[in-house]
Amino acid sequence: MKRYLSWIALIAAASIPLWLHDPYILNAFITTGIFIIAAMSLNLLLGYTGQLNLGHVAFFGIGAYTSALVSLGFDVELFGGFRVVHEPWPVWTGLVMGVIVSAFCGYIVGKLSFRVRGAYFVIVTISFAEVVRLVALNWVELTQGPLALTSIPPVTLGLPGIGYYDLYSKQSYFYLVLVVIVISYVIISRLVNSRVGRAMVALKENESLAVSVGIDVTSYLVLAAVVSAGIAGAAGGLYAHYLKIIDPDVFLFLYTVTMVIMVVTGGKGTLAGPLVGGLIFGFIPVFSRSFVGPELQWIIYGIFMIVIVFVLPQGIVPAIEKWFANREKPGLSKPAQAQVQDAP
Amino acid sequence: MTEFLQHIVNMLILGSTYALLGIGLTLIFGIMRVVNFAHGELYAFGAYFVYFIAILLGFNFFLSLLVAIVAGGLLGALIEYVLLRPMRGADIDTTMLIMIGAMIVMQNGEQYIWGGVAKSVNTPFPQAPLVIGSVSVSWLSVFVFFAALALIAATYLVINRTKLGKAMRATFQDRDTASLMGVNIQMIYMATFALGSSLAAAAGALLGPVYVISPQMGNIASLKAFAIVILGGLGSIGGATIGGFILAFAEEIGAGYISSGYRDAMGFLIIIAVLLFKPTGLFARAERIG
Amino acid sequence: MTDNKKFLAVFAAAALLSVSFATQGLTQTIKIGVNEPLTGPFAASGTYVVNGAKIAADEVNAKGGVLGKKIELVIEDNKSNPTEAAAVAEKLITTDKVPVIMGAWGSSLTLAVMPKLLEYKVPMIVETSSSGKITTSGNPYIFRISPPSSVEAHAFKDILPKLHIKKADFLVINNDWGRGAAEDFGKVLKANGVQVGYVETMDQAAQDMSAQLSKMKSSDSDTIMVTTAVEQLTLVLKQAAALGIKKQIVTTGGSQNPDQLVDQAGAAANGTFHLTTFAPWFPESTPDPVATKYFLGEWKKRGFNFAGATESFRGYDGIRTIVAGIEKAGKAEPAAIASAMWNVDFTGLNGKIKFEKQGPAGKESGQSIPNVYLIKIDSGKIILPKL
Repeated sequence: MKRYLSWIALIAAASIPLWLHDPYILNAFITTGIFIIAAMSLNLLLGYTGQLNLGHVAFFGIGAYTSALVSLGFDVELFGGFRVVHEPWPVWTGLVMGVIVSAFCGYIVGKLSFRVRGAYFVIVTISFAEVVRLVALNWVELTQGPLALTSIPPVTLGLPGIGYYDLYSKQSYFYLVLVVIVISYVIISRLVNSRVGRAMVALKENESLAVSVGIDVTSYLVLAAVVSAGIAGAAGGLYAHYLKIIDPDVFLFLYTVTMVIMVVTGGKGTLAGPLVGGLIFGFIPVFSRSFVGPELQWIIYGIFMIVIVFVLPQGIVPAIEKWFANREKPGLSKPAQAQVQDAP
Repeated sequence: MTEFLQHIVNMLILGSTYALLGIGLTLIFGIMRVVNFAHGELYAFGAYFVYFIAILLGFNFFLSLLVAIVAGGLLGALIEYVLLRPMRGADIDTTMLIMIGAMIVMQNGEQYIWGGVAKSVNTPFPQAPLVIGSVSVSWLSVFVFFAALALIAATYLVINRTKLGKAMRATFQDRDTASLMGVNIQMIYMATFALGSSLAAAAGALLGPVYVISPQMGNIASLKAFAIVILGGLGSIGGATIGGFILAFAEEIGAGYISSGYRDAMGFLIIIAVLLFKPTGLFARAERIG
Repeated sequence: MTDNKKFLAVFAAAALLSVSFATQGLTQTIKIGVNEPLTGPFAASGTYVVNGAKIAADEVNAKGGVLGKKIELVIEDNKSNPTEAAAVAEKLITTDKVPVIMGAWGSSLTLAVMPKLLEYKVPMIVETSSSGKITTSGNPYIFRISPPSSVEAHAFKDILPKLHIKKADFLVINNDWGRGAAEDFGKVLKANGVQVGYVETMDQAAQDMSAQLSKMKSSDSDTIMVTTAVEQLTLVLKQAAALGIKKQIVTTGGSQNPDQLVDQAGAAANGTFHLTTFAPWFPESTPDPVATKYFLGEWKKRGFNFAGATESFRGYDGIRTIVAGIEKAGKAEPAAIASAMWNVDFTGLNGKIKFEKQGPAGKESGQSIPNVYLIKIDSGKIILPKL
């Protein structure tokens, strides 16, 4: 039953643009989808390696800026009067570059930050995000700073000579986002279920033990950081070409908070968690908007967060899984598959 | 040279208040391992509370400060009891999310009650500044500096010279052993959170009149408090104090001599540098990583 | 339920439904979208603008509305963040089906909305944003009544000699508005023989500017030009006074809310000059004294803070501009309103509202050129300086 669940969900999701004609809700699906991709990447670090990266929005923003700059072109003077000029490239190359540059930053941050753990790691990542934000804000020659990169072209797929296909309509953008969600899901799922993934979980559970068994902890953490950053960069690129303007506001701490909420309430360490959490918290503002005033919308959002975490501390998806497990096999205290459970 | 002296004076005053913020959070973050994003909201609460009783109700300014500090402590105890105690034992990011939720509710609640327009608090101090040579500073800031130092000293005494403080330190070092030795862990947690919160409220009460009071004021306070805690090392009061001054120094000198746009980056760059070379912070005792 | 009761229930439901549909047909209004920050860092300003808009809407409706129908403001909060600003625009246009919008306060918020305007071909009146890019990006659905800093700086040229500035430092908020002001005013100063010294920025959320001010205290300039909003400006003035800075301070940008400055900065505000776009303290000096007095009277009647009038008037003028456009268009449809905007010509609270073409040919945006006033704060009062 569970295996087919993902296929059913996918088909249901793919059908949405066919019957949903309300552009406002479709827009909400697209932006929520983009943040879900970023949340899934955060889940890789938080849920599977146990490290809380509160600067994750930095990778999102780096991906956004890279993709925008690659497709708009730029002209900057570096140290020593050395001028770098870049002509605009096709948009899909921008998205790819966004992933690569973000992943590279993930490598650097990973290598540097994983010398520390826990609370210290949290602060280092926040610091990194703040520094990146300030660079984006002040290096006006490259990033336009607060003047914003505008008129970012929409995504086009194609190759020179064969022809281009412009993804301008919402429907096509929805499918693009859905495709990236699926690809990211598959990548993360493959990674998590492989030897590498099991090693990661092992070091989340008990690092000293993992080290003693010979697992090269830092390498695995860095690998997770690279994949996580790359996927976040993809999300950022999609965001840039959808919104068509990027300014340092893309590094708002609020966005990291949004991603963390999606992951933790959905269920960290589960593949479906960020999707479920994402849909819920992406849509609470959309629906509460019609009913209550501005401050109350936020207060409801905050209360929802607190309540879900109180009632279901492991997240929604594990709670559902547990409920199904209890129903299918009454009398058995544990489900048959070995599952790595979080320590109580 | 005169400019430099002025920067030093600015830094001392800024640093003392940063230290207050940092000490409050190092207790909470260090002992309870709670990533307390609501810390900035306690800071804002302290400021609004002073506004409420000193300006709207007309009480004596100094008395209002004291009452605000106590109120902050009580609010902290309440938050601990209602939100944190039931979730004791949950993961660090779960409690963090609860505190973020609390922050959202408190911040928007403040805006709902007071509106978004900034409020200012008039104090009994003269408006004309105190001028010594070419260095100029407002009387209020001088008062704030000494008040902050007094509070820091008081906190140090509580932690190091009282039974309560001893129990806190024991809990921080080894929770299970402390519990076995008869320390009431629940009480200690509540007292720690309350103490940390009252310090945040104190910082807000002192700084509200110096700056202006708005619902957003807590955000930057939280961020700086975390930076200071890491600089100084989790749980180290002396470390947080010095960390506060280091951050203030980096900001003043960085903004004054290097670039004002990157002023806030100075603090964070220092943190990154410190953590790379001394992962436990500048002053913490050797701590098991993780 | 018995069969009879079931039948009654269904009949009642159907009756209610049909009545509601019928009355919907009767009470038709012309909807105007309002996209402003009501929570987040810009909440105070957004709320002022919305309150000004409501005064205009009520005034219009009291006089019978426009094209025979009442107008209805559909107000949504963009939470001071660009993603939300775009989502709100989407909702206003597609769900509420508004033919015209006013918004979105901050420049990055407005820029995020602009692609939606192009997509759905709906015009928007920009009431506060000041980034040059807004009117030069080739978006024919943008009509701005607030001045970009280049316009402000241009007007400053005539005032400049009276202030006797030899060298000025700039202290600006680190966003497009502040940086734009530093650049545009810097150009005007240099073109008129005035030197420009330091150009320092303050982060949007910063509360302590003592480092930047200490630097300026020791510089050889005689004037500090400041561009930021009232909250941060209060702090700048207080900290400058605390540092004993004796230089002339001139502020720009139109978001100073001078009464709030007087109230909160106290003596530190005395002797400072401010470039504003509206002068509610001197209704006789405004282009339309009758309208100014009406607006201020209503503002006071509703119990709002007087200091906010210097921001809320934009909401008032924005809605009046929209109504004028709808009237000229003859119908409440986006395309008609967009082309009718070019024919709008009336006197707003701060100057003539008539749009000039700006931007690339064929896709120009509209920019109207308001007046600029220089006021001074002296002994806690706001005066028109005699220079």
